[in-house]
Order: sequence, then C-alpha cells, then structure tokens
Amino acid sequence: MTNELHNALADYLLALADDELILGHRDSEWCGHAPILEEDIAFANIALDEIGHAGVWYRLVADLRDERPETYPDQLIYFREMADYRSAPLVELPKGDWALTMLRQYLFDALESVRLERLAASAYPPLAEADAKIRTEELYHLRHTTAWVRRLGLGTEESRRRMQAALETLWPYALQMIEQPSAELVEAGYVPAEDDLRHAWEDMVIPHLQDSGLDVPHQTILPPFDRQRHTEHLSALLDEMQSVARLIPDARW
Amino acid sequence: MDTQWPRFIVFLQERANAPHQYVGSVHAPDADMALMNARDVFVRRPACLSLWVVPASAVLMKTAEELARETITYNREDDGAKEPYFVFYKLLEKGTLIHSGEVDAGSPAVALAAAYATDDGQTAKAIWVFPAKAARCSTSDDIQPMFAPARAKTHFRDQAEFHITTTMQQIKRGQDDDE
Amino acid sequence: MYGATVEPIEDAQTDDNRLREFEARIARGEKIEPGDWMPDEYRRQLIRMISQHAHSEIVGMLPEGTFITRAPTLRRKLILLAKVQDEGGHGQYLYHAAETLGATREDMLDALLSGRAKYSSIFNYPALSWADMGAIGWLVDGAAILNQTMLAKCSYGPYARAMKRICAEENFHKRQGQDIVITLATGTPEQKVMMQDAINRWWWPTLMMFGPHDTDSPNSAVLIRWGIKTKTNDELRQMFINQTVPELLALGLTIPDPDLRYDEESGNWRIGPINWDEFWQVVKGNGPCNQERMDARRRAHEDGRWVREALAAYAEKQSGT
Repeated sequence: MTNELHNALADYLLALADDELILGHRDSEWCGHAPILEEDIAFANIALDEIGHAGVWYRLVADLRDERPETYPDQLIYFREMADYRSAPLVELPKGDWALTMLRQYLFDALESVRLERLAASAYPPLAEADAKIRTEELYHLRHTTAWVRRLGLGTEESRRRMQAALETLWPYALQMIEQPSAELVEAGYVPAEDDLRHAWEDMVIPHLQDSGLDVPHQTILPPFDRQRHTEHLSALLDEMQSVARLIPDARW
Repeated sequence: MDTQWPRFIVFLQERANAPHQYVGSVHAPDADMALMNARDVFVRRPACLSLWVVPASAVLMKTAEELARETITYNREDDGAKEPYFVFYKLLEKGTLIHSGEVDAGSPAVALAAAYATDDGQTAKAIWVFPAKAARCSTSDDIQPMFAPARAKTHFRDQAEFHITTTMQQIKRGQDDDE
Repeated sequence: MYGATVEPIEDAQTDDNRLREFEARIARGEKIEPGDWMPDEYRRQLIRMISQHAHSEIVGMLPEGTFITRAPTLRRKLILLAKVQDEGGHGQYLYHAAETLGATREDMLDALLSGRAKYSSIFNYPALSWADMGAIGWLVDGAAILNQTMLAKCSYGPYARAMKRICAEENFHKRQGQDIVITLATGTPEQKVMMQDAINRWWWPTLMMFGPHDTDSPNSAVLIRWGIKTKTNDELRQMFINQTVPELLALGLTIPDPDLRYDEESGNWRIGPINWDEFWQVVKGNGPCNQERMDARRRAHEDGRWVREALAAYAEKQSGT
C-alpha cells in the first residue's frame, strides 16, 4: 500500500470513528431519561455499541498511522481540538426530542448497514475483519430503529407531527453523510463508491419512511459539506467530554 | 390510565438442550417490541440462545398450595378445539419455573389439569400453562443479530476483567516490604 | 363454560391456622410464590421494600449518569455507561418482582413521582468529581451488595431470584469502582486529593444506607421473623465497615472519623456516632439533591408520555380494534 493510500484510508476511517463516537455520546445522554424503562436500557445498548465501534475504527487508524492501538484512541478522543475532528453535523446536533433521536439513529443505522455490507468485501483485510464484528450489532440496531420509526410515524397525531418535523430537520444532514471518498480508495477496492451507497440507502429508507406515514422532503441541491467545519454544538460537546481527561496533565485514569 | 404498556412474561434458553426458564417480564406495546425489549433487558450479558415472550394475561399460574385448596373438575364434553399449550413447572424450592413440554388441550384449565396429573405436576411447587400461539418466540435466525453481540462485549462488563484482589495484595505486600 | 373449572374447596381454615402454616413453611426454608396464601402485612412490607429498592436503582442512575459524557477514557466511558444501564436493568427486575404481588408499575412510579414513595437517601447526594465514580462503586455498591446477598436468600421466591440475578451483575459494579479508587489513590498528588475528598463525602452517607440502628428500626423484627431479612441493619453495617476500612487504609486513604479504632477483642472496627439528624433530613426530602433527582425523573416521565401513547395507539390499530 502506498503512503497516500494509507493516509487516505486513515482519514476515511477517522471520519467513520468520529461519527460513531459523537452519535454514541449523544445517545448516551438519554441514559436515565428515556421515555420508558425498557427503552432506556435498549437505547443505552445502542449508545454502547456506537462508542465501541468508534474504538474499533480508531484502532485501525492507529495501525495505519503506526501509532499504538492501546493508547492512540484516547489521544484522538480526548486531546484533539475541534478543528481536527471529522464528525458530520448530523451526529453533532443536540439530542432533541425522542422523535429526532430515533429518526437520526435510524437514518444513520441504515447508512451504516449498507456501508458495512460493502466494506465486508474491502481489499484491506483488517477493515473487512473489523467490519464483520460491527455488522451484527448494526443489524440489530436497524431492526430496533426500523420498528420504532414505523410505530412513531403511524402512532398518534402528535407522534407523526414530531416525526415529520424531525425528518425535515435531519434530511439534508443525512444526505450530506454520503460523500465521495477519494478516487484512489475506491479504485483500490478499499471502500465503496458514493453513488452505489446513495442508491442502496435511498432504496432502504425512502420506502420505509413513506410506509411509516412520513413525507420525504424533496432535496435536489445538496448543501456543501466539509468535514473540517463543524456546528457550534460540537464545541460544547467536546468541552464536556474532554473536561476530566484534561484536568491533570499526564495523569492516568 | 396505565401508560406503562402491557406486561409480557419472558422465558430464556441459555444453551442448546437446556429448557427455557422464566426470568422476569418486560413492558412492551406489542409482541415484536416485547421480544426486542426482552433481549435488551435480559441479554446484556451472554448466554442466551432463545427467548419467548407471552402476554402476562395469557398465562394461567397456580402454586401447589392453590391447587391443594382447589378442585379441578374436568368436563370432557365442554372441551374446545384442541391446541398445544406450553407447560412450566417449578420443581426446586430455590429454582424458577422451567419448561417441561407441551400438552394438547381445549382450554387453559384442561391444560392445567393435564399438567397437574403428571408425576412432575404432583410434586411441582408451581405450574404455569399458556397456549403456544400466544407466545412470540425468537428463531434460529435471531441468534446471530440478537444474542451473539453480547459475547463480544464482556471486556467492559465482566467482573473478571478487574483484578482487584491481586492488585490489593501487591499494594499491601509493597507496604510490608517498606517497613 | 370451559372444558374444566378450577374452584376453591370449602375452606374452614381460620387465618390463625394459615398464619401458623405460613410461618412453618418459612421456618422449613420454603419459598413463598405468588398465589400462595400470605399475611396482608407480608405482602405490604414486600411491596414497600421491593418498590423502594426499584426506585433506588432508577434514581441511582442519575448521579453517575452525569459523568457518562465526561468519563476520561474510552474504556471508562463504556464501563460507566454499561454500569448505569445495569442499574436500570436491576430496577426493571425489581419492579417485576413487586408486580408479582399485584402492584402495578404505573402505581409504583406514580408513588415515586408524587413523592409518596421513598428511595435510598444516598442518591440525594451530588456526584462532584470523577473520583466520586470510584467512591460510589466501591462504597455504595459494596454496601448494596451486602444487603442484596442477604435478600437473595429471602423467603419470597421472585424477590430472591431477582436478587440472585442482580448480585451476579453487581460485583462488576463494585470492582469497576475499586479499580478507579486504586488508580486515583496511586496516581498523581492531585488525583489522591480528589479521591480522598470523595471518600470524605461518601463515607458517612454510605454507613447510613444500612438504615437506622436496630433499636430504632420499627420494621426489622417482622421482616426477620418472616425471612425477608436475615441480618439486622447494624450487623450488615459492621460487616461493611470491617471489610472496607483496612482496604482503604492500605491505599493510603483515611476515613473521616476521628473515633475510628480497631477493637482487638471483638475483631471489629468501631466507628464514632452517626449523624442521624442528617439521615432523617435527607429521607424527608431536604437532602442536597432531592429536588433535582425528582425533577429529572418527572421530566423524563412527562417528556416520554407522547412516546408511550404513540406506541400504544399503533398497537391498538394493528390489533384491529
């Protein structure tokens, strides 16, 4: 593998990891506050999985950058500045109400599942191996959130209204998430191309959203997307997340 | 008004050839969600191969003491169309209710009478029966997505990951050496 | 008319006879199951205890919950989230045990949110630093395990079985706390100060968790007679002190009790007087965080109402009624 290919793949995985970490963090904010006890427990499982997956991707980044996989993930999480984070606005948005939380998780899980399906065939073996571990968990998330979206969409007037509002907020951000990876990564067979992902994702989510009584917004012009720019919400999130780790220099926790 | 959703009794099978055991209940709006909730509540740690959930209202539950206080009258002519019922016994004082098989019966009371008439039924501390069709059961296809993930997650949830006793011994030994 | 009927036999037994038989069963070590005859007071005491215990798990998610987003390593973050989630799970098992006695979760939650029901006073103290995660795990969970190990042997089957399941998981909670305490106590000077401060704040409230002295505990006698409890508050408290003090001292930490001394004769660590005024103030709702904890629970319950209603409505539509 050439150096450029190494670096491009590390950047690609870093973005995946950051998305999982920040979404898992947002999900974890519900722990102890969810609408009913059973779902509090269920949603904490999803948060745990997402944060765990971030760890898997960060360790691959460590390998690609010749860093130590035991310590590098924590360095990335706790000692990187906001400008160096590569998370997308979709996951940075505050948790909102339960409709926004559940719908965001669903849109994300659907994208994850189509991406993971393709990464299983990645020509970079460590990526294909990691993918296998993550995929079973993501499949279950998708099952869970698919059931929830349907029930909230078709439940009461209020739940439909909240879901529709959440969909209008989230849709442009969700579309952004499907980016064109660098051409060399696609050519090397390491990662799937953008249009393939987009079609698979749309084929999955659009019919389900419609079956759930929701109107999918028409969006033809996509907002520009740059993973180096962030929402203002990320700044507060990182301040909180990194506060203890940065309290005492060189301390072990 | 009750906003906590109906209750489903949960039965869990830990490994192949082991019977399903009564472990608790979950609140859920419907059977599909009940099965998922049961997974999230009872399979945070590994050791699950199959789950059954059944509406609490569908289970006829009797303890040995109740059965000794009551008579079961069996009216063959009133028996409805037969269907399979799951039978659970509590046989050990400190144990829970364990699946022991099925009986065909036309009503819950007939199923109970049949379950009570067996050797196990006579010594059981409690007997539960419910129609098989009332239960929502996970399938072999569910094992991978529903129950396998817990096996990969023991590294942060398992007490064996923390070597406290050894560490404390080392610390205490270190102090003895200093003295 | 079904194929068979189950009817009560004419029953001439008096409640006195039944009570004698019930107490004989407990003396023989039998487990009482839902449906068995039991004195009303046994049922009432169990529902009171089990629902309080369930509420404590749910409210207990809150102080540690505030540190999930601040846990200082990826591993600690996963551990803490899994632990707080477990507490929700334990609350769930316990509500179920109370439900087998005829209580509904709706009523139990209503009692909690309206302030009629109590929960462990320990959770009305604030978690102020990361070191508190260690102190809560080691002290609070350590104390809870002693109580729960006893209750796993209790005479009511569903409660005993729930406790057995909880104890198996709770050891992880204590150990992750010990792991944090050891790390900080052997860490930088600032970390040691943090850890000592947390021990200073959590020590006495933890000792109060075991409840009033036996002489001031009105329910103790009947609970012991009916096999719900097998040890008194003071016995459990002393066990906790004896097992915890030497370990904390070995780590170079101190116990915030000038009267603490080792009694060679009995082999017990003796403590100074517990401030029971503080205990009763917190129980009555005047602790540092009572209001905050209840506000958080009420908000979650109210904000979640439309969600619960939506899923109930969907289920109703699907069942075609």
